[in-house]
Amino acid sequence: MDFNRHISRRLHEEHEATLALWGRLEQTLALRGAKPPTEEDLRLVRDCAAQIADEVTRHFAFEEQDLFPLLAASGEGDIAELLAEEHAAIRAAARRFGELARPAADAQAGWPELRALALELAERLVSHVQKEEMSLLPSLEDLLDEETDQALAGSYA
Amino acid sequence: MLASVARSRLLPMSVPFRYFGAAVAFHVLAWAALLAGAREVASFPGGLGLPFAALHLATLGVLAMAAIGATLQLLPVATRQPLRSVGAAKLVWWLFAPGVLVFAGGAALYAPRAMAPGAALAVAALALYGWLLGRNLWRARGMPVVVAHGWAALAALAGLAVTGLALVARYEHGLALDHPAFRGAHLVLAAYGFMGLLALGLSQFLLPMLAIARPPTPRSAYAALGTALFAILLALGDYVAAAALAGLVAAAIHIVSLERSLRARLRPALGPAFQLVRASWALLLASLALALAMALGWAPPRAGVLLVVLLVPGWLLTFLLGVLQRIVPFLASVHAGSRAPLASALSPQAPLAAHRVLHFAALAGLLAGVALDASWLVQAAAAAGLAGALAFAAFFAGVLSRLKSARVPAPA
Repeated sequence: MDFNRHISRRLHEEHEATLALWGRLEQTLALRGAKPPTEEDLRLVRDCAAQIADEVTRHFAFEEQDLFPLLAASGEGDIAELLAEEHAAIRAAARRFGELARPAADAQAGWPELRALALELAERLVSHVQKEEMSLLPSLEDLLDEETDQALAGSYA
Repeated sequence: MLASVARSRLLPMSVPFRYFGAAVAFHVLAWAALLAGAREVASFPGGLGLPFAALHLATLGVLAMAAIGATLQLLPVATRQPLRSVGAAKLVWWLFAPGVLVFAGGAALYAPRAMAPGAALAVAALALYGWLLGRNLWRARGMPVVVAHGWAALAALAGLAVTGLALVARYEHGLALDHPAFRGAHLVLAAYGFMGLLALGLSQFLLPMLAIARPPTPRSAYAALGTALFAILLALGDYVAAAALAGLVAAAIHIVSLERSLRARLRPALGPAFQLVRASWALLLASLALALAMALGWAPPRAGVLLVVLLVPGWLLTFLLGVLQRIVPFLASVHAGSRAPLASALSPQAPLAAHRVLHFAALAGLLAGVALDASWLVQAAAAAGLAGALAFAAFFAGVLSRLKSARVPAPA
């Protein structure tokens, strides 16, 4: 879908980047199966951990503070609530994933849990992005005027 | 009740799921009716009876039922418009489900008088659904490609209801009409028109969404739609060869554009549901190729029955079941509450794997049985189809049961 608002486009680009990275991880893990991870696998896991840490602090916080209230005010409170619940579930999984993926942690020993968490996060992120792309971003196209869009894009920069 | 406009585009779970549940039940009934009437299938000349009942349990009970449920939930998302009335959406089900049951039951028992009230209920339900769909499309703000397909499907729905009522009036009151022409128009408007155009339109955003891919370009979507409409008009005008050729072009544009979109997906794994989707596309092309062969006089014996098999359990049912097995757990996870279970955790995979094997076996057996005029093969195929439908019902029940468990609050 093509978006006309700056903020929708920005969030959409971030969604695409997130999905590309986590899609790569999901595929790597599927190919690796139950075998222990290589150094390259662990590097990819750490890249994903860094990405998700940034995502949950910056991207999620922006949506929760600035966008979900707009959605709720337009009569779509249940969608805003659903997306916020998913943020909470992703945050909880991302926190544990970050702990296990730390360079200091023994990733080889914690691999089964790390792998399971990675697959869970990949699926949660895919499902969450699907919902935001179908509901939040199209709604912003209607809810935001040019001025508010510019202001939101400025504050998110 | 009807005045209650939905505030949000997210409907209560009971609305789409009552349609999906009924479609799952009618799916079992359709194969059971086919199994009971298997001896009549290969040489079925048309008219009432168990094959007719099985066909309408599949088209109205499964395809239209699930399409109504899916569009009531998905179209407001695409059009950025809430549904006009949740009460009306529920009423459609209360008219349609018993209507289909009475209609198909009457047909199975060769009782046109029983079919008429069933048809009246079903047509009333479709008219109310058409009003809901039309209101939503009229105010649509997003996805013009999907909206255009919606309008085209709505026009086909009106045509299929009119031709359907005329055919019922012929059976009940002996209304004089050109029966083969009306029957052909009804088939084209139902399969390629209403269901086919909805499938084409919803595919434009649903399949890329499920695969995490960019949708096809509007140009390719409009080209496929325009060519498909042209093909339907040609078929209604009895230019069958030209219609089949135009239909093949439309289907090719649709499939190639979606395959291009899927190739550029961000999530490598498509999942087994897409095996059904891709098989359904092959069956769509096969149905159009057979229609062309029939028009040119090159068709094998029993081509009319083969065409219906390729179209209904082939293209449309295979596509629907592929999509349904992805959107049922997706929508269930949406309604799961704060514990947000994963869609994969809500999906029992074993019944789906069994269903896939049994469904493909049923299709292959049905096509071979009709082609060879072997009623034992049709019977075996219908038994496989029935077992597959039961497996799909086990999947649906499994999703609901897992959802119920996920909704139970964790002990403090």
